[in-house]
Amino acid sequence: MSQSTTQTAQGIPHEIERFNITFRIQHVLMFTTFLLLSFTGWGLKYAHEPQGVASWWIRVWGGAETAGIIHRIAGITMLLDFVWHVVYLFYLLGTKKMTFDLRTTIVPLPKDIFDVIKNYLYFFGLSKEKARYGKYSYAQKFDYWAVFWGMFIIGFSGFALAFPMLITPIVPKFTSGWIWELLSIMHSDEALLAIVFILFWHFYNEHLKPENFPMSWLWITGRMSVDTLKHHHPIEYEMLFPEEAKTEKKH
Amino acid sequence: MPYTKRLHVLAPLLLISCLLIPVPGFAQQQESANCLACHSSMKGRIKTVSGTVIELQVSAEKFAGSVHAALACTDCHMKYTDNPHSSPAGAVPQQVLAIASKISAKHPVDPVAAAACTKCHPDVYAKVLDSVHGRNITDRRQTDGALCLDCHGSAHYIVPVKNPQAKMSRKHQVETCGTCHGDKKIIEKYKLEENVMDSFQESFHGRKLHLGHTKVPVCASCHGAHDIKSKNDPTSPVFGNNRLQTCGKCHKGANEKFIPAITHKRPGPIPHYAEKGLMLLVIGVFAFIISHVLLEAFSDIRDAIFKKGREE
Repeated sequence: MSQSTTQTAQGIPHEIERFNITFRIQHVLMFTTFLLLSFTGWGLKYAHEPQGVASWWIRVWGGAETAGIIHRIAGITMLLDFVWHVVYLFYLLGTKKMTFDLRTTIVPLPKDIFDVIKNYLYFFGLSKEKARYGKYSYAQKFDYWAVFWGMFIIGFSGFALAFPMLITPIVPKFTSGWIWELLSIMHSDEALLAIVFILFWHFYNEHLKPENFPMSWLWITGRMSVDTLKHHHPIEYEMLFPEEAKTEKKH
Repeated sequence: MPYTKRLHVLAPLLLISCLLIPVPGFAQQQESANCLACHSSMKGRIKTVSGTVIELQVSAEKFAGSVHAALACTDCHMKYTDNPHSSPAGAVPQQVLAIASKISAKHPVDPVAAAACTKCHPDVYAKVLDSVHGRNITDRRQTDGALCLDCHGSAHYIVPVKNPQAKMSRKHQVETCGTCHGDKKIIEKYKLEENVMDSFQESFHGRKLHLGHTKVPVCASCHGAHDIKSKNDPTSPVFGNNRLQTCGKCHKGANEKFIPAITHKRPGPIPHYAEKGLMLLVIGVFAFIISHVLLEAFSDIRDAIFKKGREE
């Protein structure tokens, strides 16, 4: 992703662009549809309990029929958003606008596992240092790939459940006795996982953490201050500004 | 209490009670009023000769609100086998007697009264007699179901099926069928599918119904109503490929790979173990993220208190 050119007197910018407008729009689409899907789907998953609350909640969304339509439209929008994201990534890689680098990649690496261990040791007071991250910390990589997992498991099963007749041609005959049950279990269980994951992981890391509260504004501005970059993504900082990093180390 | 004072209390009470007694109009209503004069205020139950315990009270108010309000009591109660009243004059129609003779004398509703529905509903009654429910009453001479009143409730209080109060309304139908199909004794006695109630509740159909969806199917939508057949009967709408048409009523283009989607059987081993596997994954991820978030928050607080100054 491109870097900003707002230079300071010392030749180092105040902030860099971390996510361009396309990524930001994709993120907004992702979380609005996610919220709509969670709100309407939760009512259906827990339709029977606690008594009456789900019926009331679904009425808030316009009743069972309307909530179902909202759920389907949001689901299709989310899937299209996902496809757009993947196609866009291939476009960026194909035109060399994005290149692979171990320090900036979102691809999980063995280092991420060591980072987790290092941080747990730090939490327990067994290590004096926290892990140092490149462009993406393991927490962010986890956040990102969780969406992919969700798209394949929840997205596919949801599409199959919403449009069963479109899916039947590719359903092998021998699976028809259990495939629908399996699809609804996949959809429902993994949706619960996704919701709790977002509530704990994403909300804590991007909203509740003292340094981000009430939220990291990156999702609107796409920009991150170089100070924050230096502090939270030191390996990327050293890659982007090797001269400054060297001189700082000497001091 | 002096007499005049007592009169002051009794006179208004008398006036009110006179107002409460329905004003007799038509002959039929007058006749109903005669019966209801006692039966609307009687309390308690009695055991009939057939051994059934019956409620003596008939609520005049609820009867007046039912679809049968215009009928006279003796339109259905044409002949009594065991009661303190004398049976009304007039012959019982042949078609009623024909049905009544096939109903067990131990049936909780007097056979003639139970057969009387055919006087006004002959086509529907014929379907019931040919159904798995009707045959259980006539061929097998069972008393536990199901005839008209077992599903529709007392003929005194029947309201139109569109009325949510009706026992066969969308709102109450599943519950009504469940009085037998969710009853362990009856399930064992007739070797019925044992998981129908739970599996329906768990299904998308059942959940949406509970949430107030107006188009999802209830029991009769798939299984048929008065002409209901056993699921093993080739004429049942849920037998084999008959489901192509039955499911197709809502799911356009329902094909052979789609129709097994809804069943009342318990999930097979593949969905069962897949669910267990997914739950393990869910628990594993929860353990990781929750411990990570809590420990990180804890360490941040610890650092804020003890490491001030040393870290920026």
